Amino acid sequence: MGKPWWHILIISAIALLLTLMVLIIFYPVPAPPSEEMKDAREAISLARKNMSETYAPDPYMKAISSYDSAMAEWRRVNEDFIYRRNYSKVYALASLSEKKAIEASAISLNSTSSLQVLLDKELKDLNNLLSLINRIFQAYPLTTDVRNKISTGKMLLMDAQLAYRDGHFLESEKKMTESKTLLESSYEFADSHMRSYFRSYPQWRIWIDSTLAISRQNNDYSIIVDKFSHKFFLYLNGEKITEFTAELGKNWVGDKRRRGDKATPEGMYKVIKMLDGDSTNYYKALMIDYPNEEDTIKFRAAIESGSLSPSARIGDMIEIHGNGGRGVDWTAGCIALKDREMDSIFKYVRVGTPVTIVGSVDNLRRVLNR
Amino acid sequence: MKSRILMGMAVIAMVAVLSGCGKKPQVEIDATNAAIEATKAAEANVYLPADFAAVQDSMNAVMAAIEAKEGKLFKGMAAEKEKLTAVTALANQVAANVAAKKEEVKKEAETLLNDIKTVVAENAKLVLKLPRGKEGAAVIEQIKADLGNVDAAVADAQGAFDKGAFMDALNKIKAAKEKADGLNAEIKEALTKARIRF
Repeated sequence: MGKPWWHILIISAIALLLTLMVLIIFYPVPAPPSEEMKDAREAISLARKNMSETYAPDPYMKAISSYDSAMAEWRRVNEDFIYRRNYSKVYALASLSEKKAIEASAISLNSTSSLQVLLDKELKDLNNLLSLINRIFQAYPLTTDVRNKISTGKMLLMDAQLAYRDGHFLESEKKMTESKTLLESSYEFADSHMRSYFRSYPQWRIWIDSTLAISRQNNDYSIIVDKFSHKFFLYLNGEKITEFTAELGKNWVGDKRRRGDKATPEGMYKVIKMLDGDSTNYYKALMIDYPNEEDTIKFRAAIESGSLSPSARIGDMIEIHGNGGRGVDWTAGCIALKDREMDSIFKYVRVGTPVTIVGSVDNLRRVLNR
Repeated sequence: MKSRILMGMAVIAMVAVLSGCGKKPQVEIDATNAAIEATKAAEANVYLPADFAAVQDSMNAVMAAIEAKEGKLFKGMAAEKEKLTAVTALANQVAANVAAKKEEVKKEAETLLNDIKTVVAENAKLVLKLPRGKEGAAVIEQIKADLGNVDAAVADAQGAFDKGAFMDALNKIKAAKEKADGLNAEIKEALTKARIRF
C-alpha cells in the first residue's frame, strides 16, 4: 500500500521549505562595507592626530562628511531586503573618506614641516631685527608712538615664540606677521630718521679733521664728543689717549636749536671755564662757549624764517660735567661723565682746549656694521 | 511522521527567532550618545581632547559594527550592546576626569597668576629705581611701554580666568609670565649696568 497523497504533499512541502531555508542561509548575502569603513575611520583618526583640522581643514572636513554620508547610506541600504542590498555607494563614500583623510594627513604633515622651517627662519630674522633695533636705537630718542610699536612688536614676537614651541604653528605665524609689521615699520621709521640725521656727516668730518689738525699742530689736548656712540674722546697731538662713555640730553639727535629743547649742541667749541667745588652742582664742570657766533646766527635765522617761535630763547650754560654714569641720557643738553673721569680730564684740559661735538665720528655704514 | 513535521516547524521557528532577535539597540545607543553629549558639555574637548576623541572614535566603531550586524541575516546584538555600555562607561569616566583636570588647570592658572602679579609688582618697584635725570631716558620709555604691554597681557589672562575659561586663561598667563619675566630680567640688567642695587 502506498502512502496517502497528502502525506506525500506534506513531505514535499517540508522538503521545499527546507531547501528554501538552506538556500536562504547559504545564499551569498552582499558583504557589508565594514573593512572599508574601518579604514576610513582609522585614516580620519590619524588625520586628526596630525592636526589636519587646523592645517588641512578642507580635505579633513570632506573626509568627515563623506564618512557621515557613508554611515547614513549604510543605514538606508540596510533597510532594503537583505538580498537586494547594494553597498556600492557606501563603498565609494568610505573610499572617498579614507582618501581625503589620507590627503589631509599628508597636507598637514607637509604644511607643519614646511611651516616649521619657515617660522624657524622668520623667528630668527625677527629676533635679529629686534636685536638690531635694540643695538642701534635703544638710546636713540624715538617718539612714544614708535617706542610703543617696538614694545608691542616685541611682545607679539614672544607670543609667536611660545606658540611655536607648543607646536601651534598657525598661531605662531599670525603673531609673527603682526610682530613683523610693527618691528619693520618702527625700524624703517627710525632708520630713515637716522639716515636723515647722518646727512650732516660731511660737516662733522670737517670739524673732526680740523680739531685733530689743531691738536697735532699745537701738540695739545683736544676733546671730541661722538653723540651717536655716546663717547667722549681725549686726543693729544692728534692721537686718541682715552675715551669715556658720555651721557647726553634726552633729545640728543640733531643740533641744539633753542633753550629747553634738551638737545646737545653740535659744533666746534672750546673750554671757557673750569668749575669745581661750590661753583658747580655737578662735581666738576668744563663750561664751553655755546652759543658761539655761528650758533647765534643760526638761531636768529630760525626765528626770522619762522621755524622757531619769536619767544624762543637761545640756550647756554652747556658743560661737560660730572655726576654721570647713570646709564641713560638725562641732562638738559650737557655732556655728563663719571666723577673720576672728570678728575682725570681735569689734569689735561685747560681753558681754551678745543671741544668738538659731532653726531658721529664714524659714517653711517660703519655705525650700522658695528 | 508527526515528529518530523514538528522538527521542521521547530527549524522554521528557530530561523525566525534568530533572524528577528537582533533589533538595533536604540535605547543603548541613545544612552551612549547622551553620555557623550554630557562629556562634551563638561568641555572634555577643551580639557582632555585626546580622551574625548577616543570616546568618539569608539562610538563610531560601535555604530559601524551595529550597521554591519544589521546587514546580516542573524543579527545578534549582544556584543554591540556590551560595547555601547563600555563606551558609555568610558564617556562617564572622561567626564569625571574633566572635572579633575579643570580643577588642576584652574589651580595652575591661579598659581601662575599670583606669580605674575608678584613679578609685575616687582617690576613696578624696580622701574622706579631706574636712573632718572631731569627728563628720563629712551631706555626708561621703552621699559615703560613694555610694562604697559605686560599689564595688558595680565589683564587679558585675568579676564579669561574670571570667565571660567581656565585653559584659555592658562595659555594667556603662560605667555604673560614669559613677558613679565623677560622684562624683569631687562630691568635688572639696566639697574646692574647703572650700578644700582635692587
